[in-house]
Amino acid sequence: MTKPAARRSLFEPPDIGQMATATKIVLYTVLLAWSAFVLFPIYWLIITSFKTIAAVNQGPYFLPWIDFEPSLHAWKELFVNDYRDTFRAYFNSIVISLSATALAILVGSMAAYALSRVKFAPNLITILYFVGLLALTGVAVGIYDVDWRVAAATAIALFFFLARAIGRLYQLRLQNGDILFWIISQRILAPIVVVVPIYMMFQSVRLLDTHLAIILTYTVINLPVVVWLMYDFFNSIPRDLEESAQLDGATMIGIFREIILPLSRAGLAATTLLVVILCWNEYLLALFLSTNKAQTMPILVAAMNAGERGILWWTMSAVIMIMIIPVVIMAILLQKYIAKGILVGAVKG
Amino acid sequence: MKNKDKGTAKSISIRSMNKFFQAVHVLKDLSLEVQAGEFLVLLGPSGCGKSTALRLIAGLESISSGELFIGETNVTNVLPKYRDIAMVFQSYALYPHKTVAENIGFPLKMAKTPKADIDTAVLAAAQQVELGDYLERFPGQLSGGQRQRVALARAIIRRPSVFLMDEPLSNLDAKLRGNMRAELKYMQSKLGVTMIYVTHDQIEAMTLAHRVAVLKDGTLQQLGTPKEVYSNPANLFVAGFMGSPPMNFISGAIDNESFTTKGVKLPLPGAPKSNQVTLGFRPEDCRIVKAGSGAMDAEVYTAELTGDQVLVTLQLHGSQIVSRMPKEFEIGDTQIAGIEVDARHLYLFDSESGLRITADSTR
Amino acid sequence: MQTSRVSEWLDRHMGRLFLMPAVVLILVFSIFPLVASLIIAFARIRLTGGGFSVRFVGLRNFEKQFFGSEQFHLLGTFTDISVIGLLFGLLATLGLIWWMVLYVRAHFSVVGFLGRMITFLMALGLAWLFSATLLSGNLFGTLGTTLFYVFVGCGIQFLIGTALAYACSFQFRGTTSFRVIFFVPMMITPIGVGYIFRMMADTTKGPFSGVWQWVGLGEFAWASDPWAARIFIVVADSWQWIPFVFIMLLAAFESVPRDFTEAAELDGANAWQKFTEITWPHVLPVAATVMLIRVIEAFKIVDLPNIMTSGGPGIATESVSLQSYFAWRSLDLGQASAIAYVLLFVTVIICVSFFNLVVLARVRKAS
Ligand SMILES: Nc1ncnc2c1ncn2[C@@H]1O[C@H](COP(=O)(O)OP(=O)(O)OP(=O)(O)O)[C@@H](O)[C@H]1O
Ligand SMILES: [Mg+2]
Repeated sequence: MTKPAARRSLFEPPDIGQMATATKIVLYTVLLAWSAFVLFPIYWLIITSFKTIAAVNQGPYFLPWIDFEPSLHAWKELFVNDYRDTFRAYFNSIVISLSATALAILVGSMAAYALSRVKFAPNLITILYFVGLLALTGVAVGIYDVDWRVAAATAIALFFFLARAIGRLYQLRLQNGDILFWIISQRILAPIVVVVPIYMMFQSVRLLDTHLAIILTYTVINLPVVVWLMYDFFNSIPRDLEESAQLDGATMIGIFREIILPLSRAGLAATTLLVVILCWNEYLLALFLSTNKAQTMPILVAAMNAGERGILWWTMSAVIMIMIIPVVIMAILLQKYIAKGILVGAVKG
Repeated sequence: MKNKDKGTAKSISIRSMNKFFQAVHVLKDLSLEVQAGEFLVLLGPSGCGKSTALRLIAGLESISSGELFIGETNVTNVLPKYRDIAMVFQSYALYPHKTVAENIGFPLKMAKTPKADIDTAVLAAAQQVELGDYLERFPGQLSGGQRQRVALARAIIRRPSVFLMDEPLSNLDAKLRGNMRAELKYMQSKLGVTMIYVTHDQIEAMTLAHRVAVLKDGTLQQLGTPKEVYSNPANLFVAGFMGSPPMNFISGAIDNESFTTKGVKLPLPGAPKSNQVTLGFRPEDCRIVKAGSGAMDAEVYTAELTGDQVLVTLQLHGSQIVSRMPKEFEIGDTQIAGIEVDARHLYLFDSESGLRITADSTR
Repeated sequence: MQTSRVSEWLDRHMGRLFLMPAVVLILVFSIFPLVASLIIAFARIRLTGGGFSVRFVGLRNFEKQFFGSEQFHLLGTFTDISVIGLLFGLLATLGLIWWMVLYVRAHFSVVGFLGRMITFLMALGLAWLFSATLLSGNLFGTLGTTLFYVFVGCGIQFLIGTALAYACSFQFRGTTSFRVIFFVPMMITPIGVGYIFRMMADTTKGPFSGVWQWVGLGEFAWASDPWAARIFIVVADSWQWIPFVFIMLLAAFESVPRDFTEAAELDGANAWQKFTEITWPHVLPVAATVMLIRVIEAFKIVDLPNIMTSGGPGIATESVSLQSYFAWRSLDLGQASAIAYVLLFVTVIICVSFFNLVVLARVRKAS
């Protein structure tokens, strides 16, 4: 005997484990509409990069070969006429993003690991001395023109003296959670708050417009992200693995390299992708810190707003496209880790 | 100290060890001497501080006060990796991303042993625990017993002077547990290492240990051979903890060199007068007889056949008394039965302090 | 023996050594600039050739922003307050006082009270700013614009992102492709997004020019209408950041154990009840954290208004960050730092209040 076909309304699931037809229709409509909203600007970007100047300026044309004749002139300009600028920016962007990401991941996950496993108890009072002295040094150097070496040496001497003498007497111990909060809270700083002093700092050591300056800055602004995501990830790894390794004679570095990093692959992949995206797309800091040699891709995009000639929409579209491609490839490569990796970090909240 | 006397068993001496977690006093003034080559079992109920004690010995937690010696060396402040200790965790702590061979060889790799030596040692250790065919598998592809043996192999490959085990058998099924118990005991005597083994299962303690240390709420209750602890418990707690089913207890008073409670009067020559005592006897030391002919009468509750014996549970003044009878025994529909106790195996405790009271008759 | 001494010392201090690089980097590139920025905010700085000269001017820079010639720029103008504005301001004041009274009555601790007092004062200030500028028909400044971007933008992103994530958390054909597609905008550089949306919004040559003409807005220049421009920036910002909310909440929705919803279904809950009773409470902590991150990032908005409108028309779309950037570009470093510090101050108070009242409140309740 076959199961009689159930006659159910549009609003009831036709079979167990399925969605009601009405739900399905609504769901697909919404998702398709949103896909269109997401994809259409990208589609427009792509066709614009193949339009002639006239086709862009004479009003909307939608379909290549039907509305307008595709042309490679924008791409030619980018890769033939101005290939030096293009490749330099591309190269700069790759070097800077990858180095900054690698550095941020390394430094950040080491810090996150230490915070998740080792107990720290820094003295808040000592830290306040430190910050106070830092401010005094800043005032002395910046306003009263004291030589910075003299000021730094005095400050360091004074700090050790105070820390020894008074630090013992007044104690207000912080805990790991406080340090973690401190590091993560650095993300609240808008780049604009710190960029002026950073600019002056690099200027005084003649590092403006170098890779190093941008790499270091990107590393620091992304450290909080890495620490935040990796801390939760490390916390989810059972402790006894490490304790066992410890008894077997492994050092902390050994444990980190042999056990922790391999076990955190998913988290590392997701974090890496996020940080690469953030570095790759960053504009404001790059604008401050580079003038010429170290220019990155976002600056090249902005440079297509070429003043008296107006905006070069066609080449700009091409530049934006070549910026997206590597990120998409990377996202596809790391895709299977992303859901898993973000899950652990985020779900713990 | 590090390498020359590797593999020779060492004694362990714990001297007034205390451990606090913030305000919580988890281990209270623990002192223990473990001889070289001895198999010591730390036994106690859940949460009594066994794992904590083990972790202090391993150096995974810091000691709040007291001292710890391994061999002649004071290791109180020595880092775990310098203590020459191997530990098998309850969860086995196998590295999921490494193969069996890599797991077993990990301690040697950390000691920077040449690759070829590691391979031969891994093979030897794996064969010792009969894992030779599984070297290329990952821990996720092994059964519970096999994982346990990987953990064991990883511990023995180092030839450590001290072996620590934290409930290594608790994740296994009953049959495998029996096999592994025998294997562990054999392995320990063959290797001749010092072993401290943590469990809350008193059968494991009885069968494995040279000596048992019973722990309760972080305090050492009794230290002795399994036989001593079983047949000569120092207090109510130990008496009740050892043995399955546990010892029967009846509370009452001692008057005129005899134990009395409602409807019961048992002569106990030499027992000092006291108002609050607890009388204990083991299920195997009492027999069910006809009502009125034993030392006391009680209401029959249930009878369970366990295979080689019948456990009869009776109720006396609200407390339960279990008697172990031969498997031929039939209770029928008896409502009230008598209990006859073996006067040579009676235990007397002070109800308040829980301490054992010795009378001439209960020695 | 010597080497083992060294290696033992290393072992004991390895934790600190692991933490040290991060702390040093943050001290040098974050804390030091922060302190320096504060000093600069109290000074007039002139860049001279290779170096710079500093003159200490006290609170002058802040004075100018709050009470002086730049007041209209940062805060807006509040010449006369309208009746609606007055009413709203009074209502908000009463509401906030009532909120404080409730707190003090329920449970009181000094630290908790001080924290709430700070939140209270900030909320009060913003409420009056709102009624004195926007509700009274006056011009409002970059601070108001930034708050508009933050609250309206994040609100939209939260609603749409959550809805999409919930929709994609079901099993049906095509979910994977939808996920990939929805994630894409996050990978595009913000200034790219700015330019793309400028193309989209072009009323004569953009793809929707036909639509504009049909509605009769063919000649409408959105970039010269303050509200149209602001809304358009919010649309572009949402286009870019909904994917972030989406992907995080999708992970959260998928982590809700199936048993829970299935048990609820057997208990007779309908779809809406399943969502509100089971799924949402489970996801809420993640949602709160995700929104906190979004709010933090939204306060920094600078690229989009810079690219799409250069802050115009007038200052209608200028964010505080952008204002600071413009000040820097005109080499007024003191003003730039002072403005940046105002932003920092507002951001920290709002974010910490959010953290305290929303994220931590749940933790407290749970424990
Ligand atoms: N890190 C810690 N912080 C605070 N208290 C702890 C910590 N570790 C253990 N304790 C407490 O110390 C007591 C002893 O714990 P321990 O793990 O040693 O018990 P155990 O005897 O091994 O129990 P089990 O048989 O269940 O494993 C417990 O009450 C536990 O709550
Ligand atoms: Mg335990």
